[in-house]
Formats: sequence, C-alpha cells, structure tokens
Amino acid sequence: MSQAVMTDAKSAASRRRRRPRSYWALRIGLGLLAFYVAVALISFVWTPYDPLTPGVGDGYDAPSWAFPLGTDRLGADMLSRLMVGARYDLGIAFAAVSIALTVGTFIGVLSGYHGGALDTVVMRGVEIFQAFPGLLFAMLVVQAVGAGIVNVILVLSFVGIPDYLRLARAEIQAKKTWQYAEAARMTGNLPWRVAFRHLLPNSVGPLLAFTSINAAFSALVTASLGFLGLGLGPNVPEWGNMIARGQDGVMTGQWWVSFFPGLAILGLTGGLYLLGDALADLTDPRRRR
Amino acid sequence: MPPLGKMILRRLLWVFPVAFGVVTMTFFMARVLNGDPTELYAPPEATDALRAEIRARLGLADPLPIQFINYLWALLHFDFGISFTTGQSVASDLWDRLPATLELGFVGLGLGIAFGIPLGVLAAVHRERWPDFLVRGTTLSGMALPQFWVGLVLISIFFVDLRWLPGPVGRLPIGIALPPKVTGFLLVDTLLAGKPDLWWLALKQIALPALTLGFSSAAPIARVTRSAMAEAMQSDYIRTAIAMGHSRRVVWFRYSLRNALLPVVTLIGGVAGHIFAGAVLLESIFAWPGLGQYALQAIERSDFAALQGFVIYASLLYVLAFLLVDLLYMFIDPRIRT
Repeated sequence: MSQAVMTDAKSAASRRRRRPRSYWALRIGLGLLAFYVAVALISFVWTPYDPLTPGVGDGYDAPSWAFPLGTDRLGADMLSRLMVGARYDLGIAFAAVSIALTVGTFIGVLSGYHGGALDTVVMRGVEIFQAFPGLLFAMLVVQAVGAGIVNVILVLSFVGIPDYLRLARAEIQAKKTWQYAEAARMTGNLPWRVAFRHLLPNSVGPLLAFTSINAAFSALVTASLGFLGLGLGPNVPEWGNMIARGQDGVMTGQWWVSFFPGLAILGLTGGLYLLGDALADLTDPRRRR
Repeated sequence: MPPLGKMILRRLLWVFPVAFGVVTMTFFMARVLNGDPTELYAPPEATDALRAEIRARLGLADPLPIQFINYLWALLHFDFGISFTTGQSVASDLWDRLPATLELGFVGLGLGIAFGIPLGVLAAVHRERWPDFLVRGTTLSGMALPQFWVGLVLISIFFVDLRWLPGPVGRLPIGIALPPKVTGFLLVDTLLAGKPDLWWLALKQIALPALTLGFSSAAPIARVTRSAMAEAMQSDYIRTAIAMGHSRRVVWFRYSLRNALLPVVTLIGGVAGHIFAGAVLLESIFAWPGLGQYALQAIERSDFAALQGFVIYASLLYVLAFLLVDLLYMFIDPRIRT
C-alpha cells in the first residue's frame, strides 16, 4: 500500500516537472532554429571568405585560426560554405513544408468533413501513393525533371502532402460530431465555414507539431538528394553536396570536409525534432496533463 | 464487427487493388517522366527508320492502353524487361541482389531492435532522470543525422583511424571468392561451406553498415518504446499490479512492456519496409551489392526497366510489411477482434 502511495506521489511530482521540460525543449528548438535563420541571413552580407572561390587555402587545410573549419579539396573555406549552405537547406525545407501544409490540410479538411465517396477516393489514392518509398520517389522525379531548387521544393512538398492530409482528415473527422461543431452548424454557418473557421483552428496544434517534424525530414531528404548529386547542381554549397565532396577525404584522413556539414544538419534537424516534440506536448492536453 | 477470419480475408484482398494502383502509377510515372527510352538504345547516327524499328521492338509504337496491357501481362509472368546496363533480365538482377540487402537488413534491424527496445524501457522506467535524458539525446541524434553521414563517420573512425575494421568494399574483401551459393547470406553460406575464417571476414565487412543501420533504426524504436511504456506505466492496471505487491521486474516486463508493444510492432513494420526496400544511400557508401545500389545505378543511368522493376519490388514490399503488421495486430490485440 505504501508503495502505491509513494508511486502516486512520484508520478505527481513528475507531472509537475513535465510542463517546464516541454518549455525547455521548446526553447532549445526555437533557439537552434533562430540561430540557423540568423546564420543564413548573415551569409547574404558577410562570410569569412567567398564560398564559391576555390584556392583561398591550399586544399585540405586542417582546421586552424585562419580556417576554423578547414578547407575542402579545392581549398574553399568550409565555414563560408556552411554558412551559405544554411540558406539552401533551411529555405528548401521551409518552402516545401509551407506548400505541403497548405495543400495537404486543405484537401484533408475537405475529405474529412465531407466524407463519403470523396473521402474514400482520396484515402485510397493516398494509400497507394504512400506505398512508394518517399526518398526513392524524390530521387526518381528529380533525376527525370532535372536538378534545381524549384524542382526539389516541389518534389519534397508532394511527398509531404499525404501526411498532412491524413492528419487534418483524422482531426476533422473526430471533431465534426462534437457539440461545438453542432452548435456552429445550428447557428447557420455554412459547412465550409464550420470546417475551416471552427474545426481547423482547433486542430492547429498537432498540425504545427507535425510541420516541425516534417521540416526536419525535408532537410534530411534535401541533404540526401544533394549527397547523390541529384539536388541542386555540382558546385552549390548545400550540406549534403558538401558531405559527398568530402567523401574521398574521409578515406585519406581529411575528415573535416564531410564532418562539419553533418554537424550542421544535426543541429537543424535535431532542433526541429525537439521543437516538434515540445509543440506536441504543449498542444495536446492529454500529453500535457 | 465481423469475425476474425473474415477480417483477415478482407485485409488480404485489399492488397490487390493497392498493388494494382502501385503498378499503374509506376507505369505512367516511367512513361511520363523518362520520356522516350529509344534514345538510350539507338546509336547517335541512327536513321529515323532504325529508331522506328527500335521503338517497335521495345513495344513503344503501340497506343498507350495496349502498352499498358502488355506491361501488365508481362508483370504477371514476373517479366520486368531487360536492364540495358547489365544486359540481363531485371527479374534475375533483382533476385541476385536480394540476399545482400536482406542479410544487411536482418543484421541491422536485429541490432536496432536489440538496442532500441531495452533503451526505450530504460528511459521509461527512469523517466525524467539521467538515463532518460541520455537515451533521448542519443535517439534524437539518431533520427536527426543523415544515415550516410553516420556511415562515413564510422568508416573514418574504425577504418581510417583505428584500422579495426575493413574498408567499404562490399560483402567480402577484394579478391576473396564467394562461397558456393546456398542461401545467399554470406554469414550462413560460409559456415555451410565449412570456412570459419571466411565467416569472420564477412562479419567484419558487414559490421559497419549494419551498425549504421542499427543506430538509425534503434532511434525511432527506442523513442516509441519509451513513450508507449511511459503511458502504460501511468495506467490503472499498473497501479493495481504494484499495489498487489508484484516486483518491479514483473511490473515492467510482464505488464507494462507487453501492453506497450503494439505501437512498437507497427513501427518496426514500417522500419523493416524501409530497410528491406534497400537502403539506397547506405549501400552506395559501403559498395554493398544490394538492391539499393542497383536502384541508384538505374537512376543515374536512366535504366528504365531496372528502375521500374525495383520500384515495383520496393512498394510491394511496403504493402506486404503493413499487411503483416495489421495481421499481427489482430493476434496481439484482442480488442480489434471484438
């Protein structure tokens, strides 16, 4: 008996600690994201060296005071390239996620609220589409339509749409029978208004949390495409691209060319994951408790 | 709710429309995106007549619906066409490369489960204390790091610096003959051939790619185990079990973990689908002669037939993985049956 009381007290204590912890993750996540945005913005006006000019060092210079993160095989400064890379990886993820969120949510709300045949058709389509491995689909399309920022963004958003669609649909479907939805209908709101003005704003939490996770995934896929040389073209200082260019150096001991872009990705995607987790915790009353 | 048998049957039958959808989508994607493969076969100086003949022989001169029916008919006979890079039938190419991917997948996924579940349990029973933070930090980086980068870092440490493990040259060191093929799994075949030294070489070759795969699959497994188990441990039946004086071990493993396993099983199904579909980037880094590497080559060289064959294989594998999870669910979770 005393044990039960003790565990109860313990779990009550852990509950009290839970809220601040989510804020903690939220702060780190937001902090990291702000840091990357700042770096990307600064890179427009200042970088230590010109990122696209080879030969500022001798090639494969180890990290030193002059080159804090070393130089790559052609002697281009790694720090400058990493800073500029933030623009690409961050910008692409942000753009792709915005498109996927908008389109996916829109179709999802329609499908969930309307139900019936529309819903069946949409969901079957989603199921078939999701049987394709996402990265493979992205690789295929980019290879076919050609490298370039716009193409990468469009492919990534296309891969993301089904997830938002499912999430929004599930939320709306669950909420459309709730009493406040009924009340909104009874006061004479049109169906689209009930769905988009009353139900959707109440589902923002899970959607936002997923957006953050999805942005991390998009950044990883961008880097993977870059690594394969399918993303943005050969000399673009995108992080995945940089890792690929450092691959030969890894075999001969010049680890820094591949190592630092990986750390840059870790910071960005890790921050986004933390942010997503925190948002999920804070917006879901059951997880907040 | 219908009885279990009927539900299983319905779920099994649902595989066919999805498979048909996948196959249809692949066909149109290949036709629309890849343009005209005639150019790949025709020599640059070919005349229009020759091109027309090549097109006819590839079956591209027929109207699209006829092409589609021919394609379906060929698929029904497991005929994916001929890969023009290897010059062999795509079906036999895929079949040759399957064991390499499966072997790496089994070892990697095995490591992922073997580390993921205990770490998740550890984090859940010490929630909000240092083991939890440690596990969460590790799993976060496991999910946030690109797999190919982890592979490169492991190569850099264990091959370049420490020289403990061999370099990324495939399933066996260069110049070593393969044992006679029985299962296709080198870790089994070498033993069947009675060559333990060869087994040791194969094990050392698979160690780094499998560790990479294990690290990135352990991360989501540990996270889901942790949150499912933490939720289970807050439930009333666990409080009852504790109140009844069961030991912590019994409460953790017999009650909490078993109830928390459902989402973990779903996740493992998804992860397995990913892995056995060929870890494209990982295989290319480690020169692992599996399906992922095959697919990458096919993409790079616009090898239309090979790519189509691989995409169909990979997506059907996905469909089967989720089918298996759903069926397993019906047995594990009695609530679905009622």
